[in-house]
Amino acid sequence: MVVRGLQAVSKAQNGVGAFILQCKRLEFNYCEMSGSSRGMKAFLKTRLATFAKENPGVEIVVSPRPKKHPIIRGSYINKREKVVCVRNLEVLQVLQKAELLRDASGDKIKKINKPVQSLNDSVRGIWSPYHAKGEDVYKV
Amino acid sequence: MRRVSRSTWDSLAVPRRCVCGNPIRLNDLLSSSFSTTTSSSSFSSPSSSSSSSSLSTSISSSATSRPSSIPTIRSSSSSLKPRTSRPFSTTSSLAVIPSLLPTQSAKLAALHGRLGLPNGYPLTTLGRALIDPTAESEHHLNNDGLSNLGNVLLGYYASEYLMVQYPRLPYEILKTAMDGYIGPRALAAVGTGWGVEAAFAPGETVDPGLLQFNRVAPGTPLYKVQGGVGFNIPRKRNRMVPNFENNPSVNAELAAETPEMKAARESQRPGQDATTLQLAMASFVRAAVAGVYLHSGGLPSTKEFVHAHVLSRKLDVDKLFQFEQPTRELSRLCVREGFQQPIARLEKETGRYSRHAVFIVGVYSGEEKLGEGQGSSLPEAKIKAAISALKGWYLYSPASGADLPSKTDGGPGLPFTPAVIDVGDIVS
Repeated sequence: MVVRGLQAVSKAQNGVGAFILQCKRLEFNYCEMSGSSRGMKAFLKTRLATFAKENPGVEIVVSPRPKKHPIIRGSYINKREKVVCVRNLEVLQVLQKAELLRDASGDKIKKINKPVQSLNDSVRGIWSPYHAKGEDVYKV
Repeated sequence: MRRVSRSTWDSLAVPRRCVCGNPIRLNDLLSSSFSTTTSSSSFSSPSSSSSSSSLSTSISSSATSRPSSIPTIRSSSSSLKPRTSRPFSTTSSLAVIPSLLPTQSAKLAALHGRLGLPNGYPLTTLGRALIDPTAESEHHLNNDGLSNLGNVLLGYYASEYLMVQYPRLPYEILKTAMDGYIGPRALAAVGTGWGVEAAFAPGETVDPGLLQFNRVAPGTPLYKVQGGVGFNIPRKRNRMVPNFENNPSVNAELAAETPEMKAARESQRPGQDATTLQLAMASFVRAAVAGVYLHSGGLPSTKEFVHAHVLSRKLDVDKLFQFEQPTRELSRLCVREGFQQPIARLEKETGRYSRHAVFIVGVYSGEEKLGEGQGSSLPEAKIKAAISALKGWYLYSPASGADLPSKTDGGPGLPFTPAVIDVGDIVS
């Protein structure tokens, strides 16, 4: 007559306790020659240093991508990537895209219908016809 | 701007991509012919100024705090196992590519920043935490000692948390809950959630921001893999695993082998010097916790870190129970506590003679209702009621919440409410 333990692993609740930014790496690709990279190159020269300082948890990579449009590629903890093309964008628009990728979770875009998502059980409990009293009893 | 042809790149044996902080620029150990082409990242000004600045912000304080410790990780890289195949062709003058120093790795700095570690936590310690003993046998270079210390700290905080939170938890459930919070699977999940990536194989060219360990050969039985510390070590061998060592036919073969065969067998013994990603990742997380203890002001900040990253995770302790004879156990509990003997009473029922009968059974001790269960048969409902009553007893938690004993680590004068200590399990 003993109690046995059933193996279980704790589940992550990011933000309860510590918050881990899900974007772990941003890669900025640009072309030296083409005009579509003009804003991107200006961003790299003027804004990237500040952006990197503000986000110490994100690995920043800059590399040329000749004869292609400039892109920003975000890598996430869930092993997914998100890529945004920033051709012909101005500096601030590039910054906006970088912030968008930084703040993304890396998940696929999905519709969230419920206002709250939680691992916890409902505090109120599940309604039961055997326990409801008076007018709350479900009448068939 | 200089243009370098692809063949030139390959002969230089350098990754073409300019990782943040410009790895090409950092390799001042290399020959001068190499340094002449360092501006080859054709857009040099932003990559050298902006991307390295992110490094310097997070590194500078740690590098200045312990400058003497910077080269320790890689200084004796000769004992690291070389990679069997190199992704880049090497020339005679560049047979070995020196890796980045921990303070020069963008990945490591980003991990440091992502975890919100204080500036007093050097990147060298974090880098050392990422080196498993299977990748580097020198104890002052791998995370063995740190991991042991971290295991003790994690066990301290997890056990006191569970014992104060659930003072009546049976020992088996306490162990399972501990495993659920700080076992290798849970800690590996923590490390993966931190965004730590593993290197393909340990070696001199690996970025210090990657977890380095020697992988177990495919097909190796898992019980042969040497675990890390503490909870990884199986207490006794599983009965289901055949014991090859005491097999008569195997023993006969072992007796017949020559010394050369024995040496060959010993050198190829699977799992001897290899580990799994899960165990290596768990070992890293333990070592990272130990680093917080060593560099960030001792126990109070370690407690904060462990609670934030490990104990804040969700574990349903009420789903860990597996009772063998709940009705009998409840009866023994009532005897021990001096309650009246539990009686199961049918409270509601519907469809007794249908396919979908539902019975609601409450278990009572005198006038007190201990628990309630619902089932499609009377015995099922009765057993569930007993389980509900037992869980109600075992999962008692102080309503106001007692203080954790580690509160006094912050200072002996702090007000402290002692925890409830229960008499223990029901054993019979």
